[in-house]
Amino acid sequence: MGNDTDKLIDLTDTGLPDEELFTQIPQDMSSVEKIVAPKYSYWHSVFRVFFSKKSNIVIIALLVMVLAFAYIYPVFHPYDKFENILDTTAKHLTPMQAMKRFGFSIRWLFGTGESGQSTFDAIWYGSRISMSLAIICTLINFSIGLVVGALWGFSKKVDMVMNEIRNVVWIIPGTFVTSVLIMIFSPSFWTLIFAICITGWLGVAYSLRTQVIIIRDREYNLASKCLGSSTVRIATRNILPYMISYIVTVMATSIPAYIGMEAGLSYIGLGIADTTLGKIVNNASSAMMVPGWGWEFWCPVMFSAFLSIVLFLVGQSLGDAADPRTHML
Amino acid sequence: MLKYFFKRLFRGLLSVIVAVVAIMILLFVVMDKMTIFQEDEQYQRLLNNQKIIYRYTMWEKYSYLDYVTYNDYLNELVRDGELEESFKESIAKIGKTAAQDKPDVAEYVAKFTEYYESKGYEVIRLDAVMATPVRVASGGQQHLFAAQNTPVLIRVAKFFGGLLHFDSIHYADGDIEDRGLSFTLHDPVYGGEKFSPAIIGNGTYHKYLLYFDRYFPYIHQNFTWITLGQSYTVNKGVEVLKTMGQRQGAYITSTTYYPTGLVAEGAEDLHSATYAKGTRETTNVNMRLYSDDYTSVDLVKTSGSKVFYSFVVSIFGSIFSYLLGLPLGVLLAKNKDTWIDQLGSAYNVFMIAVPSLSYYFMIKALGSKLGLPTSFSLDNPSVLMYLMPVVTIVLAGIAGQMKWMRRYMVDQMNSDYVKFARAEGLSEREIFSKYIFKNAAIPIVHGIPGMFVGAISGSIIMERVYIIPGVGGLFLQSISSYDNGVIVGLAVFYGLLSILSTILGDILMAIMDPRISYTSKAR
Repeated sequence: MGNDTDKLIDLTDTGLPDEELFTQIPQDMSSVEKIVAPKYSYWHSVFRVFFSKKSNIVIIALLVMVLAFAYIYPVFHPYDKFENILDTTAKHLTPMQAMKRFGFSIRWLFGTGESGQSTFDAIWYGSRISMSLAIICTLINFSIGLVVGALWGFSKKVDMVMNEIRNVVWIIPGTFVTSVLIMIFSPSFWTLIFAICITGWLGVAYSLRTQVIIIRDREYNLASKCLGSSTVRIATRNILPYMISYIVTVMATSIPAYIGMEAGLSYIGLGIADTTLGKIVNNASSAMMVPGWGWEFWCPVMFSAFLSIVLFLVGQSLGDAADPRTHML
Repeated sequence: MLKYFFKRLFRGLLSVIVAVVAIMILLFVVMDKMTIFQEDEQYQRLLNNQKIIYRYTMWEKYSYLDYVTYNDYLNELVRDGELEESFKESIAKIGKTAAQDKPDVAEYVAKFTEYYESKGYEVIRLDAVMATPVRVASGGQQHLFAAQNTPVLIRVAKFFGGLLHFDSIHYADGDIEDRGLSFTLHDPVYGGEKFSPAIIGNGTYHKYLLYFDRYFPYIHQNFTWITLGQSYTVNKGVEVLKTMGQRQGAYITSTTYYPTGLVAEGAEDLHSATYAKGTRETTNVNMRLYSDDYTSVDLVKTSGSKVFYSFVVSIFGSIFSYLLGLPLGVLLAKNKDTWIDQLGSAYNVFMIAVPSLSYYFMIKALGSKLGLPTSFSLDNPSVLMYLMPVVTIVLAGIAGQMKWMRRYMVDQMNSDYVKFARAEGLSEREIFSKYIFKNAAIPIVHGIPGMFVGAISGSIIMERVYIIPGVGGLFLQSISSYDNGVIVGLAVFYGLLSILSTILGDILMAIMDPRISYTSKAR
């Protein structure tokens, strides 16, 4: 070991001028805070990636249009199921017949239904309720599901208890539980939400728990823990950003799922009394096979398919854009 | 490993019990009992006391409570020999108010009250409602009765206590000579000539304890059976499991050899005969047909049971979605990032995003355009009527299988062991069938028992779209008519099935993959 120090060379012995040698630079406090990497803002990048695809602009435009129609149109043209109830010639009309009968108006674009009502009005009115229901259900399920899912993933004790609860709830089909709850509380807007949410959050929480467990024990979190980060900090700073893309995808795609669920429940007679998309389909289902009456049935069916696909595509693209790995330039 | 699965089964059964308790609490405690009258027109029309009485009789019918009228009590006393029939008549009519009771009546009313209050019942006396001082208002007659809500715990205990039954020769409670089992090689149901072994009991609940017939599974036993409670309204008084398994449709008559020796055209399935005390003497028909009290028989009908239809439709649907979906997934993986792959993912998005209801109707309309039958008919059944429901399941099921298989293939094709196999000079076909598919098959096998369960519970919405007389329809019927018996029974049925299926799936997986072990030692 002693030999090594002998080999060190005194720089002045090399004979080089001072400019060629290392010199000490005084510490500059102002440059400590500067980062040379390009500026990165998460949400800014999300929107940049999202809008960089042309197809995304088209579907978001469609979504905005649908939302605007659903929430604004019924204000100007309130849906009245019985507006033409006494007019026997106004029932089950195709758009052409309806426009001939009532004059040209956007209201008769989809023809008329079994009591002479405008199918166009009904669809917007119904989709407003259906969408509100789906959005509220999603918000409730995700706010409960996120908190419980995070705890479930982090705590071993909570994991044990919640797994038992899940075992009990999941042995019985979801439709079964929801139907029984709707029967018990007799259907209204809020009881339907209650019936869907009372078991719905469990699914969200469980899928989140799985994600948390996968990420929880990664090396960077272990390192963070060794450096003394609290569990809350690890959860909010280390893990949450990782999962935002996942959460956004699941959340956005669950809105069309709830619209579909409501339509299904209405069809089997467990929907709410108010007009929803499912209810319109259910009421018109007898017209499906009657020649010439198809419009009043197929318009709501196709519209709910269209609405769901738009919502789903927006959700999926938003989820893709929310994934930081797509943010690289 | 056996021990592990028994433990799982035990825990699963505990979960079923907890779930049933929860559902019973919901149905019998949380649910407002007045809900069942919401759409009852008869109830709306009734007035005064009659309305209240109707309410209680209906609640008893739906098994919410135990309801005993003063008259029932007196009849009970007469039956026990404590009261003379003629005396009973004189005290049967209570006064318009308690103060107007005759002394004899007052004495028995007091006895009635004391007896039932000591048993925890609530005794209710409704005084007559008068329209004028002398005339009783419509439906305003006076009533006296006792009622008690059955506590949930007792309900649960009763339910699980009555779940499993074992037949014994001491079951029937009448005067039966020579109780016992007899074995015959020539089943009397077939006339006593044909060779068909059977075990016949006397004193047992079922007459035929073991027999052969031409219905699946051909050999049947009645030594032990399961009951899931009674239906209250959908199929009044009939056991839930029987409601699901009973044949439907029109009667089929065939030459029947009745126990009395009478040979005639009849629809009775004599193998299903069960004991009902004293029924032989009640009607002349029974006297002619039966030689003992085993007179309660099922009738042979043309069409299969509810479980049968749900099962057949979904099983074929699931099998074909596996058979088509898996190869398609492989195809997509092999053509990754080409138009085929994009078409596949577009199909997938369509299937996930479109509400199932809209999808069902689109397929149904397509089917009717092609001239295929789009609804079930029990009157003129044909194989074709299964086609559209099966296609509906297959087209939806393919999406899931395809997506999964594609994902798996893409992941595996870049894995080290596949690269190594390729370097060794194995052909792509060999790599796929010997390595990749073997690994991919493990989770597929795991899902198969679950598929069977899904098959039985069926898709509730789809059964309604195609008017399939299946279990889903039964469930909807029980919901719309508040049949709590059927609801609880179906919950237990689904629960048991899903537990068995997950355990079976795990066993199959362990058989397929020797690396998987459930014992802690091997871990």
